[in-house]
Amino acid sequence: ARGGMRGGKTVVVEPHRHAGIFVSRGKEDALCTINSTPGDSVYGEKRISVEGAEGTKVEYRIWNPFRSKLAAAIMAGIEHIWIQPKSKVLYLGAASGTTVSHVSDIVGPEGLVYAVEFSHRSGRDLINAAKKRTNIVPIIEDARHPQKYRMIVDMVDVIFADVAQPDQARIVALNAHHYLKNGGHVVISIKANCIDSTAKPEAVFAEEVKKLQSEKIKPLEQITLEPYERDHAVVSGHYRAPLGGKKA
Amino acid sequence: MADTYILFEHASGYALFHANGVEEIAMNLAQVEGNITDFSKFTGIIRLVAFAPFKDGIRALENANAISEGILHDDLQLFLEANLPKPGKKGKVLLGVSDQKIGGVLSESLQISCQHSGAIPELMRGIRLHFAKLIKGLSSEASSKAQLGLGHSYSRAKVKFNVNRVDNMII
Repeated sequence: ARGGMRGGKTVVVEPHRHAGIFVSRGKEDALCTINSTPGDSVYGEKRISVEGAEGTKVEYRIWNPFRSKLAAAIMAGIEHIWIQPKSKVLYLGAASGTTVSHVSDIVGPEGLVYAVEFSHRSGRDLINAAKKRTNIVPIIEDARHPQKYRMIVDMVDVIFADVAQPDQARIVALNAHHYLKNGGHVVISIKANCIDSTAKPEAVFAEEVKKLQSEKIKPLEQITLEPYERDHAVVSGHYRAPLGGKKA
Repeated sequence: MADTYILFEHASGYALFHANGVEEIAMNLAQVEGNITDFSKFTGIIRLVAFAPFKDGIRALENANAISEGILHDDLQLFLEANLPKPGKKGKVLLGVSDQKIGGVLSESLQISCQHSGAIPELMRGIRLHFAKLIKGLSSEASSKAQLGLGHSYSRAKVKFNVNRVDNMII
């Protein structure tokens, strides 16, 4: 009755190309992550339990690309998301913590997600999600002023941003200068409409990439999120890339 | 040449460092990046002078709120008065800070010259990267735990005491 997602032995889950991410092979393939808090859904997402060897059970949470730009980027075939087990991630625009919860699953108990959200309404949900998931540090504050949360944030490996603000590139750069390790990565979701609703999306993306370049962020990848989102791109970059042009 | 100190505020407490050769660092920022990433080279530049851990979570939150707003908390004032050399004794003392606002407040209330640009942001990155190793008895797990606790209390307070919130329409 629930679309075959209830699991048991009929569903097979395989590791995805990206470490920490999985694909469940059923009637329809679906992205998923290992649930760090088995028995618990964060935002009403489906869970599947798979029996492993000798009766061990692993629970996965389905990750819907229509509800998460990071999941959409993965479905669209992004080469690297840079977020992996043990990563420290600064997540700007955490909203209610839906995508953040999957990032928390990916980085695992040895990783950490600093989740920044300015809106108090979504902030409450974020704080609640973080109560059960102890690798999420909730930060209700304005990402435009990273110095305000300087006591709470460490140097990180990756900055992920989904802030939907016209000055997003500047916000990301400011946070990178404070908190991103040399050689770290940024992954940014860009909604063309939010930056400039009159220009062509491609022109908006190119302009944003140019802004990043002027802030020591070398562009690596750009991918559009069709058919999951319209006029949306995810761009990744390498911060203070080591000289000599070595591959990231 | 001014004697340069650096104030670093962390969820676990206040730390004061002494920095060598800040002028040279400011002149070749690009070249010193490597010296800052490498811990053994970094400890040749930076030396811990004092660390004052917060007594408890409540104290940490009070101080975090003050720091975030650029207000001088009594704890910070006492910490700096106790650990910075008195001005005028041996040449000039310069204090590197993270933020212009707290710099302005400190120079006004404590008569210290403060700086937040040039080599300072680069040194702050280095301290943030190596912090747990620079403080005796602080592991990186303990450091993260302090941040986790402070993140929760700071955020809870923000959501609770926001006078402008628009979503408090429970009747």
